[in-house]
Formats: sequence, structure tokens, C-alpha cells
Amino acid sequence: MIHFISKRLKHSLVLLFMASLVCFTLVVSAPGNVAVLIAELRGAVATPGYVEQVAEEIGLHKPLLMRYVDWLGDAVRGDFGISYRTGTNVSADLANRMFVTGTLIAGSAVIATLISLALGFLGAFWPYKLPDRVSRGLALLGASTPTFFVGALMIYAFSVTFQLLPSFGFNGPKSWILPWLTVAVLPAAVLSRVVRVGLEEAMTSPFVLTAKSKGLGRTAILFREALPNITPLFINALGTQVGLMTATAIIVEPLFAWQGLGDYFLAGVRFRDFMVVQACLLIFLTFFIVVNLIVDLAVLLTDPRIRRQWS
Amino acid sequence: MHDEPLLEVRNLTVNLLTAKSAVRPVDGVSYSVRQGECLAIVGESGSGKTVMNFAPLGLMPTGVTTMLSGSVKLEGRELIGLPEAEIQKLRGKSVGFIFQDPMSALNPVRRIGRQIAEMAELHLDVTPRAAEARALELVKLVGISDPVARLRQYPHELSGGLRQRIVIAIALAGEPKLLIADEPTTALDVTVQAQILRLLKDVQRRLNMAMVLITHDMGVVAGAADNIVVMYAARAAECGPVDKVLVSPRHPYTQGLINAIPRREDPIGSEFRGLPGIPPTLGAPIKGCALAPRCELAVPACSNSRPPLVRSDDSAVLVACPVVNQGKAAA
Ligand SMILES: Nc1ncnc2c1ncn2[C@@H]1O[C@H](COP(=O)(O)OP(=O)(O)OP(=O)(O)O)[C@@H](O)[C@H]1O
Ligand code: SF4
Ligand SMILES: [Mg+2]
Repeated sequence: MIHFISKRLKHSLVLLFMASLVCFTLVVSAPGNVAVLIAELRGAVATPGYVEQVAEEIGLHKPLLMRYVDWLGDAVRGDFGISYRTGTNVSADLANRMFVTGTLIAGSAVIATLISLALGFLGAFWPYKLPDRVSRGLALLGASTPTFFVGALMIYAFSVTFQLLPSFGFNGPKSWILPWLTVAVLPAAVLSRVVRVGLEEAMTSPFVLTAKSKGLGRTAILFREALPNITPLFINALGTQVGLMTATAIIVEPLFAWQGLGDYFLAGVRFRDFMVVQACLLIFLTFFIVVNLIVDLAVLLTDPRIRRQWS
Repeated sequence: MHDEPLLEVRNLTVNLLTAKSAVRPVDGVSYSVRQGECLAIVGESGSGKTVMNFAPLGLMPTGVTTMLSGSVKLEGRELIGLPEAEIQKLRGKSVGFIFQDPMSALNPVRRIGRQIAEMAELHLDVTPRAAEARALELVKLVGISDPVARLRQYPHELSGGLRQRIVIAIALAGEPKLLIADEPTTALDVTVQAQILRLLKDVQRRLNMAMVLITHDMGVVAGAADNIVVMYAARAAECGPVDKVLVSPRHPYTQGLINAIPRREDPIGSEFRGLPGIPPTLGAPIKGCALAPRCELAVPACSNSRPPLVRSDDSAVLVACPVVNQGKAAA
């Protein structure tokens, strides 16, 4: 077990290292002279002399390896440099925006989990009956509707028509509900199928016959016997969906005027603000890697067979 | 009413309908088991042994429609036509089940202790704490060493023999009156088979239960059972006390089965003495005797009508073969 965890941690570190290389390469290979950009940003006339001075200052003349080491050292300490566009410290912006996006993803993950379990169980409890067909229909609808359209529908329904919830801004739980729901729709749809199909398959296992022979009823068998069997599968699928939520955030945050990482990233791309793009990308990739690490550890906790393999 | 059998099956017929097929794996079979008795059911693979015992208790896989006719009485209570909710109450409580493959019969992600204690909670109306204590007792009863540690383990951490002991512990947890063991030793190592069989026999005697033992193994029958039903192609070919049927088998199929057991004096590499031919498929009910195409004694009349299971020259033994019955009677 310790062996597995240490092996898995090393694996994650290697991935993180590779992620950092990708981000660094992105900025190094960015078009345009960075020194000129910064010089202009500082409001000075970009005379060749001044540009040269800036280049010296930010270490453009150093060998690539040195620049990577410097950059990585800064990034690890949370220093992501200065935004080309606004001239502000990227790190200062990040703290707030990470909280916003974190709120979005955490809430959506919880909602997606609850909805998918409910829909999946409904279907597994009455297979091929009306509840199952409804659940399957909702899943199909949810999985095939583009997220921006879902968001627009949410706003139209809950903000415009019924005026129940605010349509934009990040001001407390009430304003979080619509973005949460919008992000949760697709993963809830996908995960509900994972639950439904996983439960059905588990219900055909031989141990279900044993459970039945014990005198357990269908509900008890679904919850006590089948559910623990699909937990590792579900955690895996949930991890993938949570990772993908970073991409959804890029669409949903601007829609609800949330100043999160997705919104920051989008602005960074639009204005070729490579420091911002790089910082966001590094955070996204790190998030992916960490989520996967957590998933593997959680699977280890919920599946004694795997635990045994590594003990 | 001590004389009344615990389980009495009369003329049981089972039809199974799936999306693709309709079969009749059990065709008018009768037998009974008394308290403290062990009945062996033998027969080739596919002859309907499992379906015959599981279908009346609602233990068929999903996706199969089961149609039952005839009569199955457990402690005098008719099971056929009983609603599933009522039958569910009997499972585990009145009837304990043991399955062929202990490797897959236990839930891989639940602790063994839970899987046993759950039974006690369900059927004995005890507190969770008392159920745990009961689980410990049971694990000791089925002869598992280091019982406290075992209860905290998961199935894959145990050997096949130990797992089958756990399955037996589960079957005993509800204190059932009848134990149905479906080839309980087939999937185990030869060395373990005898131990498990001895254990089963031992608990059956000690707890004075009735037991139905489904098996392929004539050695198991000889060692454990009081009575035997020989199944062929969904029907009973012969039944009676084990000592009589094994010593002087009457039905040609039973003779073939017993003849097929390897003997010590057989030279190594000698030819297998099974019945020639293959058993029929169970798609359509067979008009005459199901064995006719493979039977040495067959006469044309055998294919015309189904031979009834009737008393042979020994009134304790029933045989479904007019040729044999009349021959003996004439002799
Ligand atoms: N789930 C099912 N769906 C359809 N047909 C089935 C099903 N289970 C059993 N049958 C049919 O019933 C017949 C008898 O099956 P059964 O399992 O009772 O045989 P068995 O005597 O127990 O054989 P074995 O010794 O291999 O366990 C099979 O040949 C098959 O045609
Ligand atoms: S009835 Fe005829 S075919 Fe059937 S076992 Fe007897 S002799 Fe053979
Ligand atoms: Mg069988």
C-alpha cells in the first residue's frame, strides 16, 4: 500500500514536471518580442536601448535551461510574473479567481454526483420501465445539449421568466446555483449512465444470487451489494468529469460574469497575454494531475482487491 | 406430524422462457426429504438439477420467466403460487443455500463478517452487536481457524475451501431447516472436497437439518446421502435409498452412471465406460423415454409413451423403465 502510494506520487511528480515544460515552451515560443511588449507596457518609448535593458532585466539572454529553472522556481513559489496587458501581478489575480473557479467546480461536482446517483438508481430499480426510460431520456438530453445553451436556458427560465435567481455575478450561494447547475448537467448525464449500467451489471453477478438466497430484498441488494461494487468505477468516472469541468468553466464563467480562472484564461488568450495563459494552463494541468491522484487513492480505499494487489 | 416430509415435491414441472428460447428443464419430477435426512440429486450437466431446486424458491436469474406447475410443499406450505414477497421471507430463514463456486458467491468488496452478520440481523431479530457475536460463533462452527481475524477480511484473501466454509456459515446463519447445496465441492481442490463434505454432513446431523445435495460425484452420494434421485433430461429416472440404488441400480441410465465410475482394478489408460451418445436438448418435451436413443435395452414401445416412475421389485426403489420393471417382475 505504502509502495503503491509512493509509486503513484512519483508518477504525479513526473507528470507535473512535464506539465511545467509544456507551459514554459508555450511562452518561449510565443510570437513577438517579449521585451518590446513589456517596454511598451511600461509606457516608455520602446527604443532599442530600453528594450535591451528590459531584456537584460528579465533574463532573456540567459540560456534556455537557466530561464526554465528561474521560471519554475518562481512558479513553485507562486510567482507567475507580470501580466503583459494590465501590468499587474498575475499571482495577485490568481488567488481570487482560483476561489471562484473552485467554488464552481466543487458545487457542480456535488450536484452532478447527487443527480447522477438518483437518476442511475431510479433506472436500475425499475429497469426498462417508465422511470428508467425517463432517466435515460434525461441523460441523452443532458449529454447532447451544448453547455452554453444550457446556461442560456437556465438564465432564461430562472432569471428572466420566474426571476428566482440572479443571472450574473459571484455574490453568495444564491448566485452560485445557476452556474453550478449549468456545469453539472453534462457530467450528471454521463455519470447517471455509469451508475445505471454499473448497477445493472453488478446485479447480474453471482454474489447477487447469494444475496437473494439470504432473503435480502431488491432495494437492500442494490444498496448493500451492488453500490459498493460500482463505487470505484464511479469515482474514476467522476474524476474524469471533474477534470473536464475546467474546460466547461471557460465557457460558463464569462456567461455568468464570474471572474474565475476560465474567464481569466479566455481573456489571456484573446489578448495574447502569455503570462496569464501560462499560469492558468499550469494550474489546470496541476488540477488534472491532483484530481487523478486523489481518484487513484480513493479507488484504493474503496476496492479491497486493488488494495491487496499493492500490499 | 413427525412423518410428514419437510420438503415434498410432487409432479414439478418448470418451463423457462427467455427472449431467445423456451425450455422445460424439469418435467414432472417428484421427491421428498424429511428432517435430518440427506437427499442426493445426481444427473448429467444440464439435466435440470439446479433449476429444479432453485426455481420454486424464486432464485432464477433475471431475464428469465419461470413457469411452475405441480406442487412444492415446505413444512406443509405450498410454495407454488406463493407471492415473491412471501417466498423471500423463506429464503435464508427456512432454507439455506450453498453454491457451486465459492469464488464468486461472496461479494468481493464487503467484509466477510458483515456478510455473515447481516443474515443474523435479518432473520434472528437481534442487535447488530449480537449479530457480530453470532457471526463469530458460526465461523468457529464451520471450523475456521483464527476466526476473529477472518471476519475482518475480504473474500479474495481466503482460499476456495475457506470461502466455501464462509458460504456454509452464511447458509446456517438463519438457522434454516433445509439446506440446499448445489455441487458444493465441484469447484474445490480434491483434497479440500472431502473436508467440506464432512463439514456439511457434520452440521446437517448436528443441527438435525434436511439437506438436498446436488452432485455429479457418486462417491459423495455414497458417503453423505440417505436417498438419491437420478435425473436424466429433466426427468427422474430412478429414486430410492442410496444403499439399494448404488448397489443394484435398475434403470439403464443409473447402471450406465455407476458403470462409468473408474474402478481400482482398471488398467491405467483404459477406455472410459460412459454411456454412448449425448443427452437430448430440452427444447421440446420428449414423447417417449428420453434415454431411448442411447439405451441398449430399448424396445420400439419405449419411444411411444413416457415411462412412469413406479415401484420396482423392491418397493423402496422407484424406476421409470417398464422394460426393467416387467423383466424383474417376470423373473
Ligand atoms: N437462466 C437460464 N436461462 C435459460 N435456460 C436455462 C437457464 N438456466 C438453466 N436453463 C436451462 O435449464 C437446463 C437445466 O439447467 P440446470 O442448471 O438446472 O442443469 P444442472 O443439472 O444443474 O446442470 P449442471 O450440473 O451443469 O449444474 C439447461 O440445460 C438450460 O437449458
Ligand atoms: S424405457 Fe426403454 S429406453 Fe427408457 S430406459 Fe427403459 S428400456 Fe431404455
Ligand atoms: Mg447446476
